[in-house]
Amino acid sequence: MKPFDIVIVGGGGAGLYAAMEAMKTNPALNIAVLSKVYPNRSHTSAAQGGANAALGNKAKDDTVEMHIFDTIKGSDYLADQDAVDVLCSEAPKIIRELENMGTPWSRLEDNTIAQRPFGGAGRPRCCYCSDKTGHTILQTLYEQCLRKGVIFFNEYFALNLSVSGSCSNGLIAMNMKTGKVEAFPAKTVILATGGYAKMYWNRSSNAAGNTGDGQAIAYRAGIPMKDMEFVQFHPTGLRKSGLLVTEGARGEGGYLLNKDGERFMARYAPEKMELGPRDLVSRSLETEILQGRGFDSPAGKYLHLDLTHLGADLIKSRLPQIREMSMNFEGVDPIEEPIPVRPTAHYSMGGIDTDNQTRTIMDGVYAAGECGCVSVHGANRLGGNSLLDILVFGRIAGRTAAEEAGKFRPGTISEAELNEQLQEVRGGMQASGRYERYGELREELGQTLALNVGIFRESSLLQKGIEDIAELKERFKKVRIFDTSDVFNTNLMQVLELKNMLDLAETVAAGAFAREESRGSHTRIDFPVRDDAKWHKHTLTTLVNGKVTLGEKPVTMGRYELQERTY
Amino acid sequence: MTLPTDQHTEGKKNVTFRVFRFNPQVDSKPYFDDYTIPVERGITVLRSLNYIKEHIDGSVSFRAFCQAGICGSCSMRVNGLSQLACTTQVWDVLAKSREPGIIKVEPLRNLPLIKDLIVDMDPLVGKMVHYSNWIDSTMPEAQMGKKEFLISEEEFLRYDKATDCILCASCVSECSILRANKEYVSPAVLLKSYRMSVDSRDSMHEQRMAELVKDHGVWDCTHCYRCQESCVKSIPIMDAIHGLREDAIESRGKNDTSGSKHAEAFMTDIEKKGKLIEATLPIRTNGVVWTLQNLLPMAMKMIMKRRTPLPPPLVKSVKGIKIFRTMFREMTEHVKQDQKSHKK
Ligand SMILES: Cc1cc2nc3c(=O)[nH]c(=O)nc-3n(C[C@H](O)[C@H](O)[C@H](O)COP(=O)(O)OP(=O)(O)OC[C@H]3O[C@@H](n4cnc5c(N)ncnc54)[C@H](O)[C@@H]3O)c2cc1C
Ligand code: SF4
Ligand code: SF4
Ligand code: FES
Repeated sequence: MKPFDIVIVGGGGAGLYAAMEAMKTNPALNIAVLSKVYPNRSHTSAAQGGANAALGNKAKDDTVEMHIFDTIKGSDYLADQDAVDVLCSEAPKIIRELENMGTPWSRLEDNTIAQRPFGGAGRPRCCYCSDKTGHTILQTLYEQCLRKGVIFFNEYFALNLSVSGSCSNGLIAMNMKTGKVEAFPAKTVILATGGYAKMYWNRSSNAAGNTGDGQAIAYRAGIPMKDMEFVQFHPTGLRKSGLLVTEGARGEGGYLLNKDGERFMARYAPEKMELGPRDLVSRSLETEILQGRGFDSPAGKYLHLDLTHLGADLIKSRLPQIREMSMNFEGVDPIEEPIPVRPTAHYSMGGIDTDNQTRTIMDGVYAAGECGCVSVHGANRLGGNSLLDILVFGRIAGRTAAEEAGKFRPGTISEAELNEQLQEVRGGMQASGRYERYGELREELGQTLALNVGIFRESSLLQKGIEDIAELKERFKKVRIFDTSDVFNTNLMQVLELKNMLDLAETVAAGAFAREESRGSHTRIDFPVRDDAKWHKHTLTTLVNGKVTLGEKPVTMGRYELQERTY
Repeated sequence: MTLPTDQHTEGKKNVTFRVFRFNPQVDSKPYFDDYTIPVERGITVLRSLNYIKEHIDGSVSFRAFCQAGICGSCSMRVNGLSQLACTTQVWDVLAKSREPGIIKVEPLRNLPLIKDLIVDMDPLVGKMVHYSNWIDSTMPEAQMGKKEFLISEEEFLRYDKATDCILCASCVSECSILRANKEYVSPAVLLKSYRMSVDSRDSMHEQRMAELVKDHGVWDCTHCYRCQESCVKSIPIMDAIHGLREDAIESRGKNDTSGSKHAEAFMTDIEKKGKLIEATLPIRTNGVVWTLQNLLPMAMKMIMKRRTPLPPPLVKSVKGIKIFRTMFREMTEHVKQDQKSHKK
C-alpha cells in the first residue's frame, strides 16, 4: 500500500474531527481513517447528556472563565490548567461549528442552541439534542467526512505500531473481512480508539469494544500512559449488563433501597439524598453492598432503584427510555418492580500521555479523545466535558498531524513483520491440551477489577488485584481461539481485545497501588485524604523490558491555587 | 451450564436457537445449526447468542457493540422479522413463535452476506454517498464557528424523529422493492435524504432531488409500509417518503419523471373511478411499448407466484362515485390552497 501522510485509528468523535480538520489544513494530504466498527457505531453515539460550552444562551452571565474553574475544581486540581484553558475557550466555537455543519441541537425559545444544567457546573451550559447528543454529533461528523471524501477502512482492527528505534513506521492492522494482516506505512498516526472502562466487563456501561486498544498499542510501543488509576464509576448501572440508568430516574424522585427496604442515602447524604454527587452516591451503594445490605444473585450483589411510587403515568411520560432499558435488559417493568442496580465503570480519565498539541513522546504519533490524556479531566471528569474533549482535541490532533507530517518520513513495514504478527495473532488457534476460555478470563478480569481495583481501594486489595491480573496474563497464553476461519473472525477479535485489556489492567492497578492518597475517583480506604504535598502530580506508567514501570509528571498550574473540593 | 439467573427466578425455558450458518471459505451453501440452552426471563437474543458463542460454539459469527440498542450493529432476522438482537427479549419472541420453543435467527436480507449473521453494509454507505446524505452548509467553511444559525423549534421538529435513525438496516432488510432491485435507494437513505432536504442550513436541495427522482429513486417505492413497520426506532419513514415526493412534484413539476406522472395518473384514476385502474396505470405512466417490454413479463411472473391477483380488465366505477368526485375535487383544492399559503 502506498504510504499515508496521516493514519487515524478510530472513527468516533475524536477520530472523525481529526480527519476533517486534517483535510481542511492541507487538502493535498493522503489521509486514512481505520475503524474496527463502522464509524457511526462508535461509542460516541452512547452519550446522551450533552457537551459543555459557555455559549451564554441559557444563562446570560455564563463565561468561559467559570467553565474553566468548574473543570479544574471538578478534576480535584489534577488537570493541567493550560490544557483546560484550551478546552473551555475553544468550546463555544466548536459547538457553533458543529451547528453550522448541521448538528440538530435542541433549541431555546429564542431559536438559539439549548443548554441545560449538568453535574458540577455553576451555570446551565450543557448543549444537547434531546437524549441523543452523542449520536447526532457522530452522525454529523460522519456525514461531513463522507461529503469530503475521507478514505475509510471500516472493520479494520489495529494491531500494533511498527517501530524502528524511537520512530514509528506506521500501523499494522487486520482486515476483518479477509483476515489479512496489512501494513499502513505512514508519516503520522493519530490514535483515537476511545476508552478502556470495559475492562470492568459486566460492571461497565461501555460498549463491548471499549477495550483500550489504542492505549495498549501505544503502551506496547513504549509510550507512557498517564493517570490510568482514575476510572469514573456511575452509581446506577443495570445489574446484569452494567448498562446505564441515567440520573434522570433519581432526578424524577426515584429511591435507592437496600434489602431491608431502607432509603440508605439518608446515612450518607441526609440532605441531598439520592441526588448527591456521582462519586458520593457510588461510594454509598458500594458500602451498602460491602456491609451485606445488598440483594444476592448469581449475576452479583445489587440494590434497588425504586420508581414504583412515581406511578405509571409519570414513568411513561418522563422516563420512557429508562423503562424500555430496564424491560429490555433486566426483564423488569419499573412501573411494577424496582430496578436492580449497582455502580458501573463509566469513563476512563487516564490514557496515552500527550502534550497540549496531542503529541506523544514518539515522533509522528498523536493521541486524542478518551484514548489520550492531555489532561483536562484530572482525577474526575465533569459530565458533558468528554464530548467536548474529543471534539477540541480531535481537531487539534488533525491540525497538528497535518502540519507536522512533512517533518517525518514514512518508514517501511516488511513482509516479515506482517507475517510475524499474523502468526502471533493466530497462535491461539493451535492451542492443544488444556486450554483457557476467553469468556471466562474476561469475566474474571472484570470481577477482580471491580472487587480489588474498584470504587474502594486498599493496599492489600490492590496487591490481590495485581496478582490476579498477572495470573490471568499467564493463563491467557493458553487461550483457545475456536473459530479458525479468515473471514470476519469475531472470536479472534475478542481474544485480541482481551489481550489489550489485560495489558492495560496492569497499569491501572499499578497506578492505584502507588497513589497513596484519595483524590477524585480514586478512593483509598487506607489513605482517605488528598495529599497534595506528596501526590499533586500525574502518574506515568511505561512498559520497560516487559514490566510496568512507574514515573511521574508535574501538574501545570495557572490562575487557580489548590483548594479543598467541596460542593 | 445455564445463563446467570435471578434469585427469585420464575423458572427457565429450554430454547432452541436455529442459527443460519455460512462460511464462504468452506460452505457451498448455507445451513442451520441448532443450539438449545435454558433461558430465563429478561434475557435478550444477543445475550443468548453471546452465551452460545462463549460456551458452545465459538465460530458462530455476528456483530454487536453497544449492546444497548443505540449503535445499530446487531440487527438480524429473528423469527423472520428484522430487528435488534440486543433489545429483543427471548421470552417475548417465544410467546409468538410458530414452532414452540424454537427461535430462528438469520442475517438481514437485501445486503450481501459475509458470514453467518453478518452482512455487508458497504452498499448502504455507498447509497448514502450517492444521494448526498449530508448537509452542504450555506455557510462558507471559513465563516464557521463564529455564530449560530437561528433555528425554530418547529424546524427542529421536522427532522428530529428522522435523526433517531441508527442505520441498523432493519428497514432495508424488510423493503419489498429491494428484494427485486438491489439498486433501489433504500428506505433509510430516503429518510436521511428527507432529513437533509428540510433543513434550512442545507444548500444542495436541488442536486439531491435531481438524483432522487431518477430510476431506483423515490418514485420506485410501492408504499408497502414494511419499512416503517419494522423500524427499530419507530420512525415514521413513510412521512419522509411522502414528503420527498411532494417536494419533488412541487420543485420539479408534475411531468418531470415517470414517477410524478404516475402520481398524477393515480390521482386522475381516483377522481374518475374512485379506485385505481391498475392494469393501465403503467401504460399511462411509461407508455405502451415500455410497459410491454418491462412490466408484463414481471407481472406474469408475479401472477403465477400468486403475489398479485389478476387485474380486472375493465374497472367499474365504485358506488357513489359522484359524491366522491365532488369531495375529491374539494379535497385537492384544499390541499393546493394549503400548500400555497404554506409557501408564503
Ligand atoms: C453511556 C455513556 C454516556 C455518556 N454520556 C456522555 C455525555 O452525556 N456527555 C459527555 O461529554 N460524555 C459522555 N460520555 C463519554 C463520551 O461519550 C466518550 O468519552 C466519547 O464519546 C469518546 O469518544 P472517542 O472519539 O474518544 O471514542 P469512541 O467514540 O469510543 O470511538 C473509538 C473509535 O475507535 C475505534 N477503535 C477502537 N479500537 C480499535 C482498533 N483496535 N482498531 C481500529 N479501530 C478501533 C472504534 O471503532 C471507534 O470508531 C458517555 C459515555 C458513556 C459510556
Ligand atoms: S414503503 Fe417503500 S421503501 Fe418502505 S419497504 Fe415498502 S417499498 Fe420499501
Ligand atoms: S430507519 Fe429505522 S430501521 Fe431503518 S436503519 Fe434507521 S433505525 Fe434502522
Ligand atoms: S449492539 Fe448496538 S444496537 Fe445492538
